[in-house]
Amino acid sequence: MSLNVEKAIVVSDLCRAYHTSKGIIRKKREVVEAVKGISFEVEHGELFGLLGPNGAGKTTTIKMLTTLLTPTSGTARVLGYDIVKDVMNIRRRIGIIFGGERGLYYRVSGRQNLRYFADLYGVPMAIRDKRIDDLLDMVGLKERADLRVEGYSRGMKQRLHIAKGLVNDPTLIFMDEPTIGLDPEAARETRAMIRGLVDKGKTILLTTHYMFEADELCKRIAVISNGKIVALDSPSELKRFVKDITVVEIEAFGVSDKDLATLRLQAEVTAVNAELEGERQIVRIQTAKGSEFIPIATKILERAKVLDVRTKEPTLEDAYLKLVT
Amino acid sequence: MLNFFADPQWIIPNIIAPFIFTAVALMFYGNVSNSLALYAVIGGGMMGMWGSTLYGAGFALSSDRWNGTLEYVLGTPSRLIWIVAGRSFSAAVLGLVNALAILLIVVLGFGANLGIVNPLAFLLALVLTLVSLSALGVLLCSSFLLTRSAQVMTNGLEMPLYVASGSMFPIALLPFWSQGFSFILGPTWGIDAMRYAAYASYTGMAFGYWADILVLILSTLAYLAVGFWLFIVVERRVRRDATLVEI
Repeated sequence: MSLNVEKAIVVSDLCRAYHTSKGIIRKKREVVEAVKGISFEVEHGELFGLLGPNGAGKTTTIKMLTTLLTPTSGTARVLGYDIVKDVMNIRRRIGIIFGGERGLYYRVSGRQNLRYFADLYGVPMAIRDKRIDDLLDMVGLKERADLRVEGYSRGMKQRLHIAKGLVNDPTLIFMDEPTIGLDPEAARETRAMIRGLVDKGKTILLTTHYMFEADELCKRIAVISNGKIVALDSPSELKRFVKDITVVEIEAFGVSDKDLATLRLQAEVTAVNAELEGERQIVRIQTAKGSEFIPIATKILERAKVLDVRTKEPTLEDAYLKLVT
Repeated sequence: MLNFFADPQWIIPNIIAPFIFTAVALMFYGNVSNSLALYAVIGGGMMGMWGSTLYGAGFALSSDRWNGTLEYVLGTPSRLIWIVAGRSFSAAVLGLVNALAILLIVVLGFGANLGIVNPLAFLLALVLTLVSLSALGVLLCSSFLLTRSAQVMTNGLEMPLYVASGSMFPIALLPFWSQGFSFILGPTWGIDAMRYAAYASYTGMAFGYWADILVLILSTLAYLAVGFWLFIVVERRVRRDATLVEI
């Protein structure tokens, strides 16, 4: 029986440190603080996002909340149960979807994978096979359910992960980067599935480093950087961090690191981000000067070949860059 | 178990190795008497059951680690000890296939005629020995959870039980100082009980069939009790040290 609680998740000053060692003969011990005192709450029926760069502490946070890791300090309650003391009560009620290539038994079929985990979750035999059929139908794997997982594509494995995470009909679902590595169509289908789950009343905590995904799906987002939450609000409110900023986007070849460093040193610039799209570089400059900054930017980039310059309204990605850099 | 069967290498420790051991042992003797044949069937069967248990339980944990499924398994509300116990027991039962294969060899290949004096007592001893082997597998698996090298440990633990339990030869032939280890192994008493039930005039460890059964049951319960406690301790440790994902 679940406790009657107001919040699905309550996290208070949660910390987690990892102890590692270097060397063989003279071992040097190191402590890595992955999560440094985070606090947040998630409402029932909410799709809550944890957004952050690689190594920010997102996966560590999820693993603590799903009882796979114990915190170093701090407390958290999931569906009213303590993550250290009430482990089994939590495990019965949550679903875990980590995704990726691993986490499935490759030499048996998708259906057999689901049956095994259904048994581990104690799904009654009377409803087990019907539920598995429904899940396979939902994720579009019914035709391939009886083939070995080793023959599945990346997208099919991800869909099987989703089915596996729902096999016990959980109240609360934890998803760690559910669309990573998927092609655009598969990713779109996955996001649609996630929205469908929220419509059915599920609570979802999702981690991602895709800004548009967080913007599209999440009611609220916690931006986590270097183990700390640097902002927590709805996507529209987070964009207010950059409401006075314009983004100058420059498409170019041959932009050097020195050029980027020079741009960052300009007084009017709050953040600079460069990405590679094929062979072109896309340099995004956040500036309060707007289009007036374009001549300054093109002067700095005079050694590069500039293909196109445009100004844009700031997006969630720009707010995120401002928060984490 | 389906995942276990899907990997064909299970055939080697479970069928081929005990088969070879037994056949070679019998060939050394030339004329195979009924009592020797029975000795070979019991000993070879025990080797198969233990090899199968270790492989099924230990290798399965290694597989879970490599596949990345260990975290998912731990994250379910089923206690890990019962998951491992189920794997151990089913693997031990699979080891009975060895006993049947060896039985066929001695009957068809060597023309022996097995005559078990008390089949019901033999069956009881066999079933309890299977359970004891499973419980021993569970106990050892708790330590497998702490290491990335479970398979190496599995390989290293096969032979000691073959030798110490009296599967290959009577433990009276072992040095006195090592016999203590034999006596703490439940399967040692199980094999002795099976021989008491099978042979008309068997003296064995001189404690008698029912004493063997009692020690077998008590040792099995002890393995389960210690194993249960160890699994709780080990699970807390892996959650604290974050070692589940290490390959």
